[in-house]
Amino acid sequence: MWKVSSGLFLGWSLGANHTGNVFGTGVATGVVTYRTAIWLTALYILLGALLEGPKCMNVVGTLSHLSTLDAFACALAAAITMTVLTFLGLPASTSHAIIGAITGIGIFTGSADFAKLYRIVVCWVLTPVSGLVFAYTLQKVLSFLLDFAVPSLTLRNFIYSVGIIISGCYAAYSLGGNSVANVTGVYVSAGMLSVQDATLFGGLSIAMGTLTYSRKVMLSVGKGIVPLDPFSAMVAVLAEAATLHLFTQLGVPVSSSQAIVGALVGVGLVKDSRTVSRTMLVRIGVGWLCTPVAAGVIVLLLVKLASAGTGSPIFF
Amino acid sequence: MNVTEFMTTKIESIEADQMVYDAIERMVDRRIRSLLVIFPGDAKNAGVITARDVVSRVLAQNKDSRAVKVADIASRPIVCIDKDTTLDKAVGLMEARGIARVFICDRDAIIGVLSMLDVMAGVLIMRARGDHGA
Amino acid sequence: MVLKQFFVGARREQAVIGGIKKHIELLCSACETFKLALKAGDRNRMRLVPEMEREGDIIRRGIISLIYEGAFLPYLRPNLCRFVEVVDDVFDCLQETAQHSLNITVPEQLLGECVRVAHLNHRMCEMLLFTFETTMEGKDLREKALAVRIYEKKIDDIKIGILKDARKIPVASFWEGESLSNFLSGLTNISNIIEDATDSLQIINVSMR
Repeated sequence: MWKVSSGLFLGWSLGANHTGNVFGTGVATGVVTYRTAIWLTALYILLGALLEGPKCMNVVGTLSHLSTLDAFACALAAAITMTVLTFLGLPASTSHAIIGAITGIGIFTGSADFAKLYRIVVCWVLTPVSGLVFAYTLQKVLSFLLDFAVPSLTLRNFIYSVGIIISGCYAAYSLGGNSVANVTGVYVSAGMLSVQDATLFGGLSIAMGTLTYSRKVMLSVGKGIVPLDPFSAMVAVLAEAATLHLFTQLGVPVSSSQAIVGALVGVGLVKDSRTVSRTMLVRIGVGWLCTPVAAGVIVLLLVKLASAGTGSPIFF
Repeated sequence: MNVTEFMTTKIESIEADQMVYDAIERMVDRRIRSLLVIFPGDAKNAGVITARDVVSRVLAQNKDSRAVKVADIASRPIVCIDKDTTLDKAVGLMEARGIARVFICDRDAIIGVLSMLDVMAGVLIMRARGDHGA
Repeated sequence: MVLKQFFVGARREQAVIGGIKKHIELLCSACETFKLALKAGDRNRMRLVPEMEREGDIIRRGIISLIYEGAFLPYLRPNLCRFVEVVDDVFDCLQETAQHSLNITVPEQLLGECVRVAHLNHRMCEMLLFTFETTMEGKDLREKALAVRIYEKKIDDIKIGILKDARKIPVASFWEGESLSNFLSGLTNISNIIEDATDSLQIINVSMR
């Protein structure tokens, strides 16, 4: 059972890196304190993992044929990649990292399912687009409704406060449901864990990452990309949550980082596209491209190390 | 609200026996469109000279402004209304008489002038105050 | 506990709005007192203005405390505080002008126009109050803001005339001249600060849309 430790480490990295996508904008605008944000996130991530997590479990584990040691190596490689990117303050994609690692092994062993990979990559591309479309639409519609029905300053203040918290909780729930498969899906495929155990352990590990190491990324997501008012913050997170929830129903784990950036661009477009920080977007884009490649390289290095250690190739 | 709220109290004047050229100089320098014309020995019966008078009666007719006296083109008597007149009544009067300004009087003394610009400003202010009670 | 926080927050917000309204109403009162005192040459009445300014300070401190105890979103708090501080600046300017007026006798040639400026300052304060109420209701501020600018322009026009006439007035000493100059300066500056306050309200209005 020690082999699940890499998955739990990956879950911890995911929690540390992705909480910013949930409550980063809320903390940056001062609606919620960091402390409140992390506890709410942890709770709803666990809830989402338990209730929605099983839907994505199938895809991750069946991309390549994996032994128990492969599962360990994939999760470890993805975790190392995520930790490095978190340390650098870049929001990065766990789904990219785990898929990159699994594909790396799959290519090496010749068992990679490229048809499935293609489907996953299409969903990756559609993720920021979906975030953008949801955000743009929500911004326009909600703005119109609020101007029509809620002109009063104090009432708006109340609605924004409540809205940011509700959207953050929904986003955490969607994140848990969509991402837990990235963390422990490989072990379900390798027959080491049942789906229920995988969602529980995965959810708990993500929650622990949220509670212990999420501050840095949370602040960079909230402040670095688009200067946000409370309404835009609420809309961006709602759009991200809707995007993740949509792809969870399709059974494909996608990047919450891409969803939130797409949403923030969508919000920025409604107001003025010049508010988007292009430098930050480029940095994030580079991070995304490097993630699967880095994870693939690291998993192969780990495999080589293990082979060198045991004196025989470990795949056969 | 009455006309005293919106009138201009600083009234520029000119002697009736001065030349139109002097009137032009003063109007351009102060960026104003009219001058009260004071007739010597008849202070209570003042007149008014406007930019329109200068342009239509002197400049457009190619007359030399240094050769025409203010008294020759001034309108007289001036139209005066009481200081307690409402803005609506003042506007009605200006429209009926076809004039662009009206003088505000307190008994015999001229205390201000209300121009079209002052009227527009007054209407905007009253509208802004409207739902809060004027 | 979260619900409780919301209800307490809502009460604080109402208290802040009530406080700011009271602050501006007091400012209107102070401006009216100043105008009446100046018109009648009533020094005793003029001495009420600094007292009202002190009362305004107490109200201001209460408002700022309430804001930072948790009223309104943190996003909105700096803008609200800025508005309250600018209203306080109007009070300070009015109080200083009142003090200067107690050191001089306003020359007859200038009194009429000075009273007119004081009257327009009072009207501007009233318009500021209407603008604040409209901001809280979330309605369009354009008309109110335009009205404030109209008043401010009128005062600027009168100021030019006052300063021109003031130069013709002989003064007995440097200090008498300086007091008169400070009085005229303060009197005509009040409208500028009220305009700044209106601009602050515009920012608050836009930031929540």
